[in-house]
Amino acid sequence: MAVIGEVLTGPADRPRRSLRLNPAVLAPLVSPLALLAIWYWVASREIFPEQILVPPGVVLEAFRELTESGELQEHLGISLYRLTLGFLIGALSGLIFGVLLALSRQVRDYAGSLFQALRQIPTLALIPMFILFFGIGETLKVVIIVKATFFPVAVAAWDGVKGIPTQYLEVGHLYRLKRRDLWLRLVLPAAVSPLLTGIRIALGRSWLVLVAVELLAADSGIGQMMELARQMMRLDIVMVGVFVTGIIGFALDKGFRLLERLLLRGRIAEKTT
Amino acid sequence: MNFRNRALGRFLSPILALLTSLTAPLAAADEPAKLRIAVVANSTSGTPVFVGPPQRLASDQEFQQALRQRNVELEWVPVSSAAVATLTNEAFTNRRIDFAFYGDLPSVILNASGIKTRLLVPGNLGTNTYLAVPANSGARSLQDLKGKRIALHRGRPWEVSFAKLLEANGLGFNDFRIINLNPQAGAAALASGGVEGFFTLDDAYVLEERGIAKVIWSSHQAPHDWKMRAELWGSEEFINRYPELTQLLATATVRAMHWISRDENRDEYIRLQARFGLPETVIRRDADANQVTWKDYWAPLFTDSLKKHYEQVAAHAHRNKLIRKSVEAAELFASPGFVNRALQELGLEHYWNTAEAWQ
Repeated sequence: MAVIGEVLTGPADRPRRSLRLNPAVLAPLVSPLALLAIWYWVASREIFPEQILVPPGVVLEAFRELTESGELQEHLGISLYRLTLGFLIGALSGLIFGVLLALSRQVRDYAGSLFQALRQIPTLALIPMFILFFGIGETLKVVIIVKATFFPVAVAAWDGVKGIPTQYLEVGHLYRLKRRDLWLRLVLPAAVSPLLTGIRIALGRSWLVLVAVELLAADSGIGQMMELARQMMRLDIVMVGVFVTGIIGFALDKGFRLLERLLLRGRIAEKTT
Repeated sequence: MNFRNRALGRFLSPILALLTSLTAPLAAADEPAKLRIAVVANSTSGTPVFVGPPQRLASDQEFQQALRQRNVELEWVPVSSAAVATLTNEAFTNRRIDFAFYGDLPSVILNASGIKTRLLVPGNLGTNTYLAVPANSGARSLQDLKGKRIALHRGRPWEVSFAKLLEANGLGFNDFRIINLNPQAGAAALASGGVEGFFTLDDAYVLEERGIAKVIWSSHQAPHDWKMRAELWGSEEFINRYPELTQLLATATVRAMHWISRDENRDEYIRLQARFGLPETVIRRDADANQVTWKDYWAPLFTDSLKKHYEQVAAHAHRNKLIRKSVEAAELFASPGFVNRALQELGLEHYWNTAEAWQ
């Protein structure tokens, strides 16, 4: 009887519990807050000179200063513009090339091994050569991002299309689908899940590479703002750059995961019904 | 395993160095264990070569003997010419060095950030700066470069020289696209057409001799105080705490400058400096163009024009928002007593024209 009583009261407890703060929501905040607390504590003890370990308040002040003068928005705008342009070119061309690699034996035979070899070269290792070819202007940054995006997206598209069960294509041929319909209704939807993952990884990498190349050679952008601040001994501005870079990278990743879920939800529902 | 230990050691040693340097003041010894001096150096030829008077200082047996007697180890901290300003300022900040031979603007930037250093021994009368354009460029003057890309390593001493040139032409930084590149990258950018102009030191002559660039302006044709300065700076804390050791270094530096300033040593000094990478012809060409004699060029004296120079550097840094807090030029100087005593000890009171020098 007691057991039945427990079982019966169980569900009644549930609504009450959901009113309390859900630990799953708070858990991700614990480590950043702990880091902030340690930072604040170490800085307040002045174990390191203020110029090396800038206290959180000073960084916040620098952030305010940079946003009020519009400097941060300007650099960030330029960086995000470069990212968008390079990423669109890289992702689109990567997508097309990856699908071609998967579908066409000829493309695979002629370009496959070169593609495999090239994608092994780290983007950052190409910077010195790219500087010689493209100079240090906007072209360099866009080309670097195109390189960082093209290969992961092409690989993801290749894998995604390769993974489509051959029956799907056979059915498509059986129904005499036009080439256009075959692509739009069959190939792309089937490859969308691995493709989105590839694009998300490419986006994250592009952002990292962009900030790195801006540190090295640029006249503007968030990376250059940090490098110039380092040269002027303004570690508070460097820290603002570190945070903004991190938060943007995080937001891009989160945003894309959300998009992935939205796009895939319909399809999963389709499959289960 | 060895490799891993070494890698670990390499990773940990700077941290340990930082911790020991932070706790060092607590030891309260009468003498520090080490005298650490940052110098612009390279060792491509095997033995390290230093730029300027430290090259002479490094072979000064009298100085090194005096340090040995006091059980103080002399440690040269080499910094690469690609980023002298940043590396030296960072080393002063985390207390890895006590002294440094380096430039004017970075010292002002460091002091504005709250780290106190003092100019102990003034260097020579200044280093010339150059504006170079690609060899096939049609640009003949700064005006022709308006709106174009110019490579300039920001925060380096020659930036002030560049600012003076702009001002004299009624222009500002915003009239150009200033690309922040270190001298090596700047040279590469000029060679590859990435920039239309390159503002730098006498490495511009090297580019010219290789047929890559041509110099369209140099501070030779400008007033004397347009040159950049590099000299001996020390941590204020160290100077106050160890005045005797500081005097030893000041005296040795003045001795080195005296040796260099003698006409019979000029050739050997230039030969030594050529080992740093610049051809002798280039160094000679630069030195010959100076408006003062070789001897007077090397006078280590505190003068009103030195003070005026630092006032201009500090004003430039503040006006262009390189620094937040303004810096008083007068506060940047250590007591001229160190240099004056050095001149006395070496019997050089009347060697240089000290009429304008502070007593």
